Amino acid sequence: MVRARGVARRFGSQVALEPTDIEVHAGEALALIGPNGAGKSTLLALLAGALEPSAGTIERVDDVRVGWVPQRAAFYDRLTARENLELFGRLEGEPEHAAVAQQLLIRFDVPADRPTHTLSVGNRQRLNVALALLGSPHVLLLDEPTAALDPGQRRRLWETVTALRDEGGSVVFATQNLEEIELYANRVAVLQRGRLTFVGPTAEYRELHAEEIFT
Amino acid sequence: MRRSALVLRKDLRVLVRSPLLLGVLIAYPLLVAGLVGLVAGYGSSKPRVALVDEDHLPQLVAVGGHRFRIQDAIDEVGKNVHLVRMDPVEARHALATGRVVATLTVPPGFLADLKSGLHSPSLVYQVTRGGISSRVTQQVQALVYGLNRQLQTAYVRTDLRYVQLIVTGGRAEFGGRTYDVLGLARMQKLLQQLPPGPQRERIAEFARIAGVALAQTGSLLGATANPIGLERAHEHSRSSLLSAQVQSYALALTITFLALLLAAGAIASERDENAIGRLRRGLISMGELVSAKVALAAVVALALGLAIALVFGVIVEAGGVAGGEPWQRLPLLAVGLVVAGAALGALGTLLGALARETRTASLVAVLVVMPVVFLGLVPREVVPVAGWLSDGLPFAHAVRYFSASLYDASPWGALVRELVWLVGLGLAFGVLARLATRRLLA
Repeated sequence: MVRARGVARRFGSQVALEPTDIEVHAGEALALIGPNGAGKSTLLALLAGALEPSAGTIERVDDVRVGWVPQRAAFYDRLTARENLELFGRLEGEPEHAAVAQQLLIRFDVPADRPTHTLSVGNRQRLNVALALLGSPHVLLLDEPTAALDPGQRRRLWETVTALRDEGGSVVFATQNLEEIELYANRVAVLQRGRLTFVGPTAEYRELHAEEIFT
Repeated sequence: MRRSALVLRKDLRVLVRSPLLLGVLIAYPLLVAGLVGLVAGYGSSKPRVALVDEDHLPQLVAVGGHRFRIQDAIDEVGKNVHLVRMDPVEARHALATGRVVATLTVPPGFLADLKSGLHSPSLVYQVTRGGISSRVTQQVQALVYGLNRQLQTAYVRTDLRYVQLIVTGGRAEFGGRTYDVLGLARMQKLLQQLPPGPQRERIAEFARIAGVALAQTGSLLGATANPIGLERAHEHSRSSLLSAQVQSYALALTITFLALLLAAGAIASERDENAIGRLRRGLISMGELVSAKVALAAVVALALGLAIALVFGVIVEAGGVAGGEPWQRLPLLAVGLVVAGAALGALGTLLGALARETRTASLVAVLVVMPVVFLGLVPREVVPVAGWLSDGLPFAHAVRYFSASLYDASPWGALVRELVWLVGLGLAFGVLARLATRRLLA
């Protein structure tokens, strides 16, 4: 559904991601793992179209919609959660933006009418995830989405993610949590110092020593 | 376009929710405009001029029987120029070091020449180059004009005394000698005592005509000395505070400050709030995002500019100021506010995109506002470079547009010219801002 061909990204003289080829298939959940600064967030932002690659191309199947949950919340602090959802819903082309916003507010249990800068870290992350679901995406890109969520919210998030995958969509998630890989990923991609060092089924990854990868 | 409108609506909503920021953004430039007006109007209104009296003029000078108090003349010119008495050496040094902008020297023998009436004495004037020299020269010329007016009155009186002597006769001193002058009137009496005849009648007729003609001499001499007089009529005129120029500057300064800061802060905040990445995913193009920020500046400039014009107008009307507020010109002003706001917004967006962070963008915008404004305030004829630089920035064009739209009798030429400038500058800064948005994604 989404393919990166020789995609690389530099920030000034610093190489964040070396030329990388990776493909996201329909109906799969791909886990991106690696130590901090390995290039996971950069790759996800490139796949989402939030960053422009310094080299290479990102290809998408026609009409594929992509949802993106960045590691740092991406919405307007002076607006309420409802206003953020309605604004981005309209920009996504949601015909029923108000109704969809209301559904997501209920589903993720986010305070609707308070300015988002007054929300707790957990509530902000839930809104961050809810925003990614606007426009009914086929591919969901999540950057450590459960880091600030309580166990109940984590479960609800993974239910949503799994449902999307089961309906033929794709999920790519960056995580530091090995349990999440075991539970939800079909494939694993390992990034180290901006280089993709492993891509394969979760079972194949299991045979490697995770400790080695995270050092 | 629809997407730009959505982001614009969001920005306006955010702005309304920051009343303190909005208040400061409005109050600050108005305060600065007032201070600039005060500084421009009064701060340099009395340039220092050295007065060097090499002739040692007495306190009281008598010329042609008319007495002058030198200090009164100095006080008169002192309304516009601060005259400081100095000796020649001190004055030369002060002029060289810039402590005074000019020196006015009364050379030796000045008073003697003046009293003799045989030569016109001259005051010697030296002035620094550039700056306010032309203004000081005008003030000194006004001083000499004023002195000449007083001297002319004295000279005319003296001349009239001689004429009167010719008409009526009597004793007079001239060149240190005393004369007994017959006079036309006494001549006619003497003629009556001569035997009648055609010669006597011709002489008597001449004496009569000469007497009539000389009786007109007073008004003729007065008219010759001052062909054109200037009287100041006291009427209900517009004060300098409400002048077209001050209104134009206040409007332009306020929207410059607002538009630059708002646009710069708004584009940088998209990155600070991490929303730029979400938007870039095909939700809105960077061109549309720049358009939204430009539109934000234009909308706020329009609203605030009209509010300021309204307040000025109410004050003008309430004060019964001559000319009144040109309410029918407000649509023209509105067009200028939108276009100038957009051009300034494009410049602000460029600054914000280059600065990348909201705090840096705001600081950069504040730092840029002052030079932009002051370049527009420097008279082109004084510092041509400032004029050229100012042409490349929207402020001066906005001032000229506002002034023409509100008060020019035939504004169309100026309006079209300044609109073309503003649109051109807006497009140029807009294109640069669009290119600079790449930095927001880095």
